[in-house]
Amino acid sequence: ADHTLVISSWAPPTHNINAKMWPKFVEMIEEATDGQVTAELKLGLAPPPAQMDLIMDGAADVSIIFHGYQAGRFVTTKLIELPGFPGNAEAASVAYWRAFDAHLSNANEHRGVKVVALHTHGPAQLHTADPMENLDDIAGLKLRIPGGVGGDVGSALGATGIQVPAPKVYETLASKAADGVVMPVDSRKGFKLTEVAPHLYEMPGGFYRGSFAFIMNEDAFAGLPEDLRTVLDEEVFGEPLSREIGKIWDAGDLESLEVTKETEGNTITIASEADQEKFAGIAADVIETVLNEIEATGVDAEAAYEMVMSEMSSY
Amino acid sequence: MTVALIGFALVLILVLLRMPIVFAMGLVGTLGYAYERGGSIFDTRGLNASLSMVGRQITDTAQDYGLSVVPLFILMGLFVNKGGMARELYAVSNAFLGHFRGGIAMATVAACGGFSAICGSSLATAATMSKVAMPQMRRYGYSDELSTASIAAGGTLGILIPPSVILVIYGLLTETSIGKLFMAGIIPGAMGILFYLFAVRWTVFRNPDSGPAGERSSWMERLVALRSVWAVLLLFFLVIGGLYGVLDVHPLNLTFSPTEAAGMGAMGAFLIALSRGGLTLASTFEVLKETAFTASALFAVLIGAQIFSNFVNLAGLPEALIGLVTAYDVPNFVVILMILGIYIVLGCVFESLSMLLLTVPIFFPLITQLGYDPIWFGIVVVVVTEISLITPPVGLNVFILKGVVGDVSTGTIFRGVTPFWVVDIIRLALIVTIPWLVLVLPDQMGALGH
Amino acid sequence: MKPVILLARRASLLPVVLASVALFTLMIMTFADVLLRSALNAPIEQATELTRIFMVIIVFGVMPVMTARGDHISVDLTDGIFYRLRLNNVRDGLVYIVCGVMMFWPVQRVWVLAERWRSYGDVTEYLAFPQFYVGWFIAAFTALTAIVMLVIGLLHLFAPRFLERTQ
Ligand code: NA
Ligand code: NA
Repeated sequence: ADHTLVISSWAPPTHNINAKMWPKFVEMIEEATDGQVTAELKLGLAPPPAQMDLIMDGAADVSIIFHGYQAGRFVTTKLIELPGFPGNAEAASVAYWRAFDAHLSNANEHRGVKVVALHTHGPAQLHTADPMENLDDIAGLKLRIPGGVGGDVGSALGATGIQVPAPKVYETLASKAADGVVMPVDSRKGFKLTEVAPHLYEMPGGFYRGSFAFIMNEDAFAGLPEDLRTVLDEEVFGEPLSREIGKIWDAGDLESLEVTKETEGNTITIASEADQEKFAGIAADVIETVLNEIEATGVDAEAAYEMVMSEMSSY
Repeated sequence: MTVALIGFALVLILVLLRMPIVFAMGLVGTLGYAYERGGSIFDTRGLNASLSMVGRQITDTAQDYGLSVVPLFILMGLFVNKGGMARELYAVSNAFLGHFRGGIAMATVAACGGFSAICGSSLATAATMSKVAMPQMRRYGYSDELSTASIAAGGTLGILIPPSVILVIYGLLTETSIGKLFMAGIIPGAMGILFYLFAVRWTVFRNPDSGPAGERSSWMERLVALRSVWAVLLLFFLVIGGLYGVLDVHPLNLTFSPTEAAGMGAMGAFLIALSRGGLTLASTFEVLKETAFTASALFAVLIGAQIFSNFVNLAGLPEALIGLVTAYDVPNFVVILMILGIYIVLGCVFESLSMLLLTVPIFFPLITQLGYDPIWFGIVVVVVTEISLITPPVGLNVFILKGVVGDVSTGTIFRGVTPFWVVDIIRLALIVTIPWLVLVLPDQMGALGH
Repeated sequence: MKPVILLARRASLLPVVLASVALFTLMIMTFADVLLRSALNAPIEQATELTRIFMVIIVFGVMPVMTARGDHISVDLTDGIFYRLRLNNVRDGLVYIVCGVMMFWPVQRVWVLAERWRSYGDVTEYLAFPQFYVGWFIAAFTALTAIVMLVIGLLHLFAPRFLERTQ
């Protein structure tokens, strides 16, 4: 290849991000450019919150960021994290990109880097050491929840937040420092939750979703010949890549669900109709607060929300 | 690969010119990274990229939550010192072992092992025990060789028997579980005590005058001595028990992450030292200050190591090494033997931490690629590091002892310590050939259930 | 020269006290967090963030003084040769000056990063504590460390007798 991009990534090597998503990224750019552009993966160059600085200054060319790791910087990305959207990660990722294109990008929160994909994992669900029957059981639990919307929902449900990075979740649960964790179903396999949090409590639409972006150094992109830039922008970056990554998240969810069903002692409880309604009420407050926050950045929050809702409903 | 090797050679040269390790690794890492990104060390874009990486390493390493165990474990060790617990441990082991030939040296080894269980540093273990044990052995006419060697060697146990600062750093560099590493250190650590006891016996067998028998303690005296070590046992139980969920019983429900275990241990040691009147405001400040200095130096060196490791990673050295091994079809055990050989040679001249920082980024990817267990490799690295502490010409524990005792030559200590590192090599061989010794406890831990 | 050294020592006490207080607080907070969590099911939610901030204060607060004490981890394998050739002061002087000078770049970069964090409004999760303060603190104390290295380097070269007294 004439151009080799350096990818900086941070999850464990076996995590879907590194085992499937980056290989997919490489496959797509190679295919679109007839092998003229490729990329190599480097792990552990810096912790997650450092990635955007690294890309901005060209310490690597491409990276993945989780918006929730940088409190204060990203507000509009909370939109896709809201609970209650119908549909899987693929639908959400596509809708997310379209809403970004139409509305969210106006806030210019990713200034300094080129956004090449936006995606979310599947709806996050509750995984606990002890079985959950009702929504009310959550109050008083010590839960590992990431920041952002997840945190807001957690406190609205009366849970106590425990801050630990995702790779430490297993230890935290094993040592009972936390009673449970709210994460996508996908992580049951990757983080071995089937061992330490055998009980899965599912809320249709999820308690939150996690917002990710693939970002690229602007100079690295500008340094490519024009024909390659065009083909990458048309065939890979944006909606096509977002959709493919969404699919990988979904496949992970399904795989983990299978593992859960096969693992002895694991249970799956789906929230009752009454609890779903109750949660919708709680979620409505969170949604309103978040939409107000987004509105304050000068973005038409209501329109963006409606757009995601209708895109996902009809996906 | 060539670039990375040149970088490695440059670090060695700078380090030998006595440039502090953080600057040697930081400088070479920065320039190397710039070279990899920009094609030249003078390329503006490459330097800009590299400095961004360096800047983030500086700001992120100090904010790494997992690393907060480092100052807390150091703090615990220093408070333990003030609490006089080393003296009590020594009194107990002496009451049980002192009347054997070489018994006081054996008691020293045992007390070092006990002290290691609450102290995370080998240097601190050696420094503390030398103040307690040295006068006693002199009084009973022990040879300088045996008395200093038993302390220097016994001190090395500090980084293998948990808690251990070196294991924490290995865990952070390689993203392996600190809890499991601690668990894995227990059996090799216990083997270390036994083997050192054997080394003492061997020394007095060769030269009976080197370690005459002391007085036999009555059972009454032994019981009295035993009663005083409750504090050490309590601390060990609190730290290690909490880490493994042993204290997870109603209504206590005490389970800790490594950071919390360190915090609880430090607080426990503080309260014990306080209750024994060993602490004033001034001496508390002194302990806090020393901890901060040590932590600061450790963090600095970690930052340097990570900058260098990023350069090596970007330059593709780990992949190149793996490629070499596969291309020449080198059997796995030969690779391990070569790595161990490199460690033992480096260990002769390098200080423990620098050796770990220099080598782990290079060897770790290779080892895991070959299918070896990261926990097992961590213990192997720590055992070779322990050996490096007492091998000539640079053996840090030997120098510490020379510093504390004063009137003994380093040559004498190195002579005395020879049987100890010989048994260390045997122990290393056992751990390498029977990984079960290392892995049985951490594997058990996964099955603890929860 | 003497009053200058005396003054520097007095001034250096402040960050060391600050770091010691941060360390002591870190210990108490970790202890309290565990007890509150186990006994009352009420962990301190801000503990993680505070731990990070305390660590920055501990590590960087004492770094200039730690450097002045010569506590940086280094290998003294070749000391014998340099002492015999009476080149030790020249060597240490040059090494310290080179290190001090090259620290200019990371200091500047950390400053740039901190300003960037400020422009993006980065804060900590629970306390909403602005990240750029942390960046400023690190930049300032790294800069002080660089100055200390330069001064020590110059003393090694031109007035080594002052160093013997401070050790
Ligand atoms: Na220890
Ligand atoms: Na050595």
